[in-house]
Amino acid sequence: MTQFRVLFQKEWRENVRNYKILWIPLVFILFAILEPVTQYFLPQLLDSLGNLPDGAVIEFPEPSPGEILANIIGQYQFIGLLVLILAYMGAVAGERRSGTATLLYVRPLSYGAYYMSKWVAANLIAVGSVLFGLLAGYYYTALFFGQVEIGSFLQFAGTYCLWIILVVTVILTASAWMPNGGLAAAVSFVLLLFMQLVDGLLGAYWTVSPFKVPSYAAQWLWAGPETGAYWWSVAITVFLIVAIAAFGIWMSKKNAAKVKV
Amino acid sequence: MSDTTVVLALLPVILIQLVLMIFALVDLIKNPKPNGPKWLWGVIIVVINIIGPILYFVIGRRNY
Repeated sequence: MTQFRVLFQKEWRENVRNYKILWIPLVFILFAILEPVTQYFLPQLLDSLGNLPDGAVIEFPEPSPGEILANIIGQYQFIGLLVLILAYMGAVAGERRSGTATLLYVRPLSYGAYYMSKWVAANLIAVGSVLFGLLAGYYYTALFFGQVEIGSFLQFAGTYCLWIILVVTVILTASAWMPNGGLAAAVSFVLLLFMQLVDGLLGAYWTVSPFKVPSYAAQWLWAGPETGAYWWSVAITVFLIVAIAAFGIWMSKKNAAKVKV
Repeated sequence: MSDTTVVLALLPVILIQLVLMIFALVDLIKNPKPNGPKWLWGVIIVVINIIGPILYFVIGRRNY
């Protein structure tokens, strides 16, 4: 436990020094604010930029507050994931390259504590950013469109955070597994964004899948997802988080031998 | 909704972009060896909204 604490402090300091603690939350908040704002000003924007003939009238259906919040997640599913992949692709792989790893690996290091220190630090920042972002989005949606019930919002945000934890776990494990940050990014990209696309195309045939967790999260804003499929997906996601983290710990141990001084 | 509330609502968007830009620029000035020419990163940070500072933090800082 002492080892974990020391490593976590190192991890945290690193995240502060390279400004990840600043820019990751800001980006998530920014995209969450932009969604309700652009939706609100869309008619005026089209008016001034759209080159419409005089007298043209377009009726916009007023989007429901739930739809706006669901759209924010839609943004996070691409831009947000990309930001997280870019930010943490080098978490382990980059350390091996820069030489920090050689300083650590010559000591009697518990790889469990080593991996988990990164996991906790990265998840604190990622989940915190998503929560702050969604809260900002919630506030703006309430300001422009009307309020979503706070209970369903919390269920929505909580479910989405579970998915973000899975995302961070996949990225860190890819970083421990692959020889460099670029390959780690490619592996996470395929596992997260590409698989999501596959699940979106073929997913009509099954209801239980970790890639459906974000859409189940969004469903909390309306009637709520089907309970059975929802809890099974959540259970599988939790199981995957544990399994992938265990694989990551094993890989950071195995690949430690490959580090050259 | 009156004009002032709209302006107040948009203020955080501009503020966040400014903060990102300022932190990226300060770090760039202090950075002895960024990944690429310094003036080019300066231009990227100032000219490209949102993405510019992120690109600098991810690629330009030479984190590893």
